[in-house]
Amino acid sequence: MEREPEMEVTLREFAEADTEALFSWASDPRVVRFQRREAYSRVDEARRYILDHVLPHPWYRAICVGSVVVGSISIKPGPAEEGGSRRRSPSSTRASLGYRLAHGYWGRGIATRAVRMAAEAAFAEWPWLARLEAVADGENPASQRVLEKAGFVREGVLRRYLVLKGRPRDMVMFSSVDTDRRNKPVEAHGL
Amino acid sequence: MEQGKGEGAQPAKTAVEVTLRPFTLADVDAMMAWASDPVPYESTEPLLAFIKDTVLPHPWFRAICLSGSGDGDGRPVGALSVSPTADACRAELGYVLARAHWGKGVATAAVRRALGAVFEEVEGLERVEALVDARNAASQRVLEKAGFTREALLRRYCVLKGDVKDMVIYSFVSTDPLPPAAA
Repeated sequence: MEREPEMEVTLREFAEADTEALFSWASDPRVVRFQRREAYSRVDEARRYILDHVLPHPWYRAICVGSVVVGSISIKPGPAEEGGSRRRSPSSTRASLGYRLAHGYWGRGIATRAVRMAAEAAFAEWPWLARLEAVADGENPASQRVLEKAGFVREGVLRRYLVLKGRPRDMVMFSSVDTDRRNKPVEAHGL
Repeated sequence: MEQGKGEGAQPAKTAVEVTLRPFTLADVDAMMAWASDPVPYESTEPLLAFIKDTVLPHPWFRAICLSGSGDGDGRPVGALSVSPTADACRAELGYVLARAHWGKGVATAAVRRALGAVFEEVEGLERVEALVDARNAASQRVLEKAGFTREALLRRYCVLKGDVKDMVIYSFVSTDPLPPAAA
């Protein structure tokens, strides 16, 4: 069945002009529920976020349905421990992925498509990449399903991994690795 | 420590105690014992630099020492560190022990002591995690005996010695019961 052009999911770079769109989901408590950041209350916070964080970021994309910006997806190379550093260490083989989607677009497979496309782009663009990982809150089964449907493997639960809004959270770790994608035999570790 | 049985049995030896203390530059010679295994260092210079640049400024880096008759004068036999991560609630444990002291429960005792201390001292700490090469069964046992929970196999996680490795992640969290500190 052909997908209507209005429903086609694409990824593109952000621009300052996307401020209002970003504000629409970044101000929504349902969307930011499992994120560190509190919901934005002023459009200017969204504008500053695009200028200070999104535009300089190594890989940050707007999720579009047709021509409408409905969410964002980003991939940070290198271990999370490197924090704000933009240069990954030479011994790093991994990157971490995160995404958010406006509430009105949930439940239609859009995030799943965006995650698949982002993962393909990352493995195509970065020859050093062996592992793309993502964590989902233990109480966010919808996000866990997105990652599973996008072909990520659930590896386990990391207990009290983050503190979100004052509460320690268990996070479920998922990954997509180069050996999955090449269909190479994976070593067994007797697990 | 086993007491000798039968005639002329020796009095029980004082149990060897594992303790943790900060490093000093004077520990460089002791450090050579584990740092030089398997690839020997030719001089102490790089280790002195390591102590000055990494160990001394580190928030939680400790020498593993043995005290008790016959097992040394408190010289370090290994090192243990608990390092901050991008999140204040989570720290990463690492340790190394000179080969001569493997298989005696020293690393397990050191890790147990470290857990007790670090949850007491570090504000906001909820989780201590450790990453172990999936093929390093001995190190995995150390963590299990110290009370860590094995959580996941992280595939293709990082490069060690030139190869991309799968690592197992273990954790000990603030709500886990602290093991007794005694070895």
